Amino acid sequence: MKRRQFMHLAFAQPSRGVLVLAADAEWLLYAGGAVAGMISSGAEAHLIRIGNDERQSWDLQPEETALRNRRESEAAARILGIQSVVSLGFRSSELREVPHTTMRDRLMMHIRRLRPGVLFIPNPHAEHDRNLDRYYAGAAAEDAWHCARFANFLPAASDHGLVPYIVPEVYYYAPPVDPRRREPESTATFVPQPLQVDIGGAFARKLEAALALETINRDRAMRVKQTLAASGQRLRVLDSVDGAAARRIAEENVRGLARICAEGTPFSQAEEFRYAGIDFGIPREYR
Amino acid sequence: MRALLKHFAILLILAAVPAPAQDNLPLGKLPPGRVLLVAQPHHDDHTTDYGMGGLIARFVENGFESYYVRGSNDEKDGPHGYGRNDIVNLKETWDAIRILGMKKVISLNWRNDFMNPIPLDELREQLIFVIRKYRPEVVLGHNPWEHYQKNPDHRNVARALVEACWLAGYATVHPEHFDLGLKPHSVPHYYGKGRLDWGLGQISNIAMELNESQERKKELAIAAHRNVYGSGGAARALSAQLEKEGKYIPEFEKAASELEASDMITHWWMNWTSRETGRKAGVKYAEDYYYTGSLYHLPGLREFVAKNAEPLR
Repeated sequence: MKRRQFMHLAFAQPSRGVLVLAADAEWLLYAGGAVAGMISSGAEAHLIRIGNDERQSWDLQPEETALRNRRESEAAARILGIQSVVSLGFRSSELREVPHTTMRDRLMMHIRRLRPGVLFIPNPHAEHDRNLDRYYAGAAAEDAWHCARFANFLPAASDHGLVPYIVPEVYYYAPPVDPRRREPESTATFVPQPLQVDIGGAFARKLEAALALETINRDRAMRVKQTLAASGQRLRVLDSVDGAAARRIAEENVRGLARICAEGTPFSQAEEFRYAGIDFGIPREYR
Repeated sequence: MRALLKHFAILLILAAVPAPAQDNLPLGKLPPGRVLLVAQPHHDDHTTDYGMGGLIARFVENGFESYYVRGSNDEKDGPHGYGRNDIVNLKETWDAIRILGMKKVISLNWRNDFMNPIPLDELREQLIFVIRKYRPEVVLGHNPWEHYQKNPDHRNVARALVEACWLAGYATVHPEHFDLGLKPHSVPHYYGKGRLDWGLGQISNIAMELNESQERKKELAIAAHRNVYGSGGAARALSAQLEKEGKYIPEFEKAASELEASDMITHWWMNWTSRETGRKAGVKYAEDYYYTGSLYHLPGLREFVAKNAEPLR
C-alpha cells in the first residue's frame, strides 16, 4: 500500500480547533510549526501543560524555574497564536509517579471540553528520548484520546455536559532522535504512520516562540558549553553566555531540527510526526 | 540471567540461521575520561554474553576507574533460597569485577525480580547520588528501549539510569545532595546493551572492538558466577541430547568433570558471541551497543557544533 508521507499545511486545515497536550515547554520545538501553520489557516488552538517545567534552568531554584518557565511558555504560546494555556502543574521529571489514570482523566476532560478537530500528543512509542516524562505523558494522552469517546468514562463530567467525543486527527510528536522514526508501520488502519509536514510558512513564528523560552535557552546554552568543555572544545559564541548567545544557540537548534525533519522531502523546513487521520480509524474498503 | 545454560542448546540452531542483518556496524573509539560506572540490576548483568565484560575490561586497561552498581539483591538467582543466594551472588559479583579490574561493587539491594512495583524515582535518586559521587564520564547499562526485554528489572533499572545520567547534572534535582558535599554532574557517554537474538532485539549503532586479553577476561568473569553457572548441567544436558543422535563432543573427554565441561561451553558461547559481533564490524572480537553521546539529545545542534567547535584555549 502506498502511504502518503508528506503534507503541505494547506491540506491539513482542521475543521475545528487544535489541542496540544505537552509534557514540557519544549513541545514547540517538535510541533510548534505545524500548530502555528494551522492557526494561520484559521484554527483555534489551546495548550495543556502537563509538567510544570521546574527542572530546566541553569542556576535557579525549582520554584523560580517553574514560575519563569510557565510565564515563558505562555508567552511562546501567544506568539504561536494559541488562545488558551492550562497548566496542570504535575512535577516535571516525576510524571512517572503520577497515576496514569489521574493524568489521563484530566486530559480527557479537556478533550471533551474543547472538542478539537486535531490533537497533538507526545509520542509514547518513540525511542531513545532520554526525557521519559514524554513517554508517560504521551501514554496518558493517547489513552485520553481513546477513552474520551466512551460514555462510561468520566460519568460525572458527562452529566455536566462533557459528553463523549472522538478527535478525528492526531499528530504524535517527538524529538527526531529515533533512527527508525520514518519506518512505516504494518498497516495504515489503527496504526499511526510517519508524516513530514512543511512548516516553511510558519517557521518564523515558531522561531520567535522558541526564543521566548529564555530560561530553557540559557540552560541549553550553558549545558552545551559545559559538555564541549568536558571534551576540550568550545564554541566562540558561548565564551560569554549572555542573552544573545543563548538566543543564537536556540535559533541554530530550531533551524537544525527543521533541516533534519525536511531531509528526503521537497520541503526546506519541516516537522516529523506519526499521524493518525481517517486512514487510522476507517479502513479504505469501508469508506 | 539464568539464560546461559540454555544458550548452547540453541547454538547449533543459531549457527544455521542467519543473524538479523546488521553488518557494517561502525567501530567506536573510547571516549575521553577517567571514571566508568556500570549499573545493572543483577550480579551477572555486567558479564553476560551480549556485553559488557569485554568493554569494561577495555576501559579499565585504558586507565578508567570502574565501579559496578548492582540494583537488586539477586535473592532468586541460584539454588539456595533467598538469603543464601543474596550472600553468594554478592560475593561472586566481587569475584567477577576483580577479574575485569573494577574497583568496587555498590549494591542497592532492591528486591530481585520485584522491580516493577518499586518507586523508580527512588531508585533514580540513588543512581543520581552515585553519579554525583563518582562523577563518571561513561555509563554502561541496558538499553531501555530494547524490544522484547522480558525481565522488567532490566527495563526499569535502565529507565531510571538514562534519566539519572542527565538529571544528575541539574541543580534543581535533589538539591539535598549538595549539603552532603556533592555537586551536579551529567554523564556525556551512555552505552546501552541489548540482545540481538530476541525478535528485532536491539538495533545497535556501534561496535566496540575487544582484544584477546579483554575477550579472555570477559569469559573468565562470567564463569566467576558459580552459583548460577557452575552446576555442570549444561554439559550434562548437551551430552545427553547429542548421545540420542549418536554424537559426542571430543573436547569433553579432556575435561576432568561435568563442571569443567560446562565451563568449556561457557567459554565457547562467549567467544562465539564476540566473534559474531566482531564479524559485523570487520574485526575479530567486539561487543555492540546503542551509544548516545553528549549531543545525541540535541540533534538540531549537531551540524552547527561540528562546523564551529574549536579546541579549548
